[in-house]
Amino acid sequence: MTDRYKSVFDIIGPIMVGPSSSHTAGTLQIGRMARIIFGGDPAELVVHYYDSFAHTHLGHGTDYAIVAGVLGMEPDDRRVPMAVRMARNMGIKIRFIEEKQHSPVGHPNTAWLELTNRDHTLKMGLIGCSIGGGMIEVRRIRYNDVTFNTPGPLPIILFRDVQQSAEIHMKLLKMVMAVGPMLNQQSTNGKRAAIYSFTMKNPVKPAQLKKLQEAFPKLALLQVEE
Amino acid sequence: MYKSVEDLIDTATARRKPVSDLMIEQEMQTTGLSRDKIWQKMERNLEVMKKAVAKGSQGDGVHSKTGLTGGDAAKIREYRQTHHSLSGDTIMKAVQGAIATNEVNAAMGIVCATPTAGSSGTLPGILFILKDRIELSHEQEVRFLFTAGAFGLVIANNACIAGASGGCQAEVGSASAIGAAAAVEVAGGTPEESANALAIAMANLEGLVCDPVAGLVEVPCVKRNAIGATNALVAADMALAGCTSRIPVDEVISAMNEVGRSMPTALRETGQGGLAGTKTGQLLRHKLLHEM
Repeated sequence: MTDRYKSVFDIIGPIMVGPSSSHTAGTLQIGRMARIIFGGDPAELVVHYYDSFAHTHLGHGTDYAIVAGVLGMEPDDRRVPMAVRMARNMGIKIRFIEEKQHSPVGHPNTAWLELTNRDHTLKMGLIGCSIGGGMIEVRRIRYNDVTFNTPGPLPIILFRDVQQSAEIHMKLLKMVMAVGPMLNQQSTNGKRAAIYSFTMKNPVKPAQLKKLQEAFPKLALLQVEE
Repeated sequence: MYKSVEDLIDTATARRKPVSDLMIEQEMQTTGLSRDKIWQKMERNLEVMKKAVAKGSQGDGVHSKTGLTGGDAAKIREYRQTHHSLSGDTIMKAVQGAIATNEVNAAMGIVCATPTAGSSGTLPGILFILKDRIELSHEQEVRFLFTAGAFGLVIANNACIAGASGGCQAEVGSASAIGAAAAVEVAGGTPEESANALAIAMANLEGLVCDPVAGLVEVPCVKRNAIGATNALVAADMALAGCTSRIPVDEVISAMNEVGRSMPTALRETGQGGLAGTKTGQLLRHKLLHEM
């Protein structure tokens, strides 16, 4: 027994543009999460596909779904099937790579997204898995030189601390604990910043996020909006 | 969270509440949203389902870009009007609703994934014939979806609902099973009977592989939803008649999971084995991938 699926709307829903909830709706969410981490439109996007994704991404509309997510579209946006062309018209360089080896995180629907800015000073990304019915997991996150594995389930609260301060970490931890029960927490140090991540048990409500972001303006929340 | 179907129906029986009520209560707890907000969200899903059925059924129907699927729901509508069908109009209307939805999905139209897009025709196929058969009210239609969702959560958390993880039995099989359980509730059956309907429907589709031609959600996905819907109606009727599953429902769900995990990768949404691997399946793949 797991509790990966929490809401009735994980089963009845989402409302989406076809054809596949795991290859289209789910991957769109993986793209959206990558956009949240990157903080906007990238100049370059590289997508590595593994296993089922590598074999069927063309037929299932996975390419346009991921790009639609990276552009910040909702799953029921009529422009979803046009997303790749739209992104290229915006000047975003996009590459899709079908990997021959198995998923590095052991799931048949795995995509690894790398997002970079124009001068390659920012390189961020994630490994996402589409676990069915449009639900996703985020298994690995990269912020420039910091890469760490996460347990998978969302929501994940992320904060990049450029001061790498224990005090800031404690203050954030206290506030996150007040939000609700936590499944996992990590802090990973890099050269330029430390990344704190918290996997939460329940959805983070808008009012709670607002409060967190008032204290930590650049705090990011990886959560699929129902 | 309900750990098992047994847990869910024991609670429903003890509290004398329909499963749909338990689901709404749990949703209010986990999301903090009001009952009205949650209800309205489900009404929106219902609306999308109705629109997809209508869109796929009218005129010549809809057709996918590849030309592999489309127009069958419209053919069935025509057939129902002009012929005396062998399996009866209820069954053929369910088939039409299921196929219409999946044809819209294959044509990149808007659907509600229940639980997945590939299996999105199964629940509408079941739901929209119940209106004729047992005069379902709008409220009951919405309740049907909450009940199906409650049972679906148990399946998703104890087994799987993705074709890549467990084959088509995890998608259309799960959709059929939760639809059977929900049909029993709105028809006035007990939670116990819902559990039996779920077990029967799931067991009947156990072992179904995911073998989409060219990796597209078209062949055989669209027609499989016809079987998902009708299998659910048969299972629901059997349960209401008092037939029970010899294997307890939660064990049926574990069996489905185990069968799914032991399926070779070629039969789990990779577009390689089964129908996708046939001579024609391979030819179509080659042709379509070159056109794209």
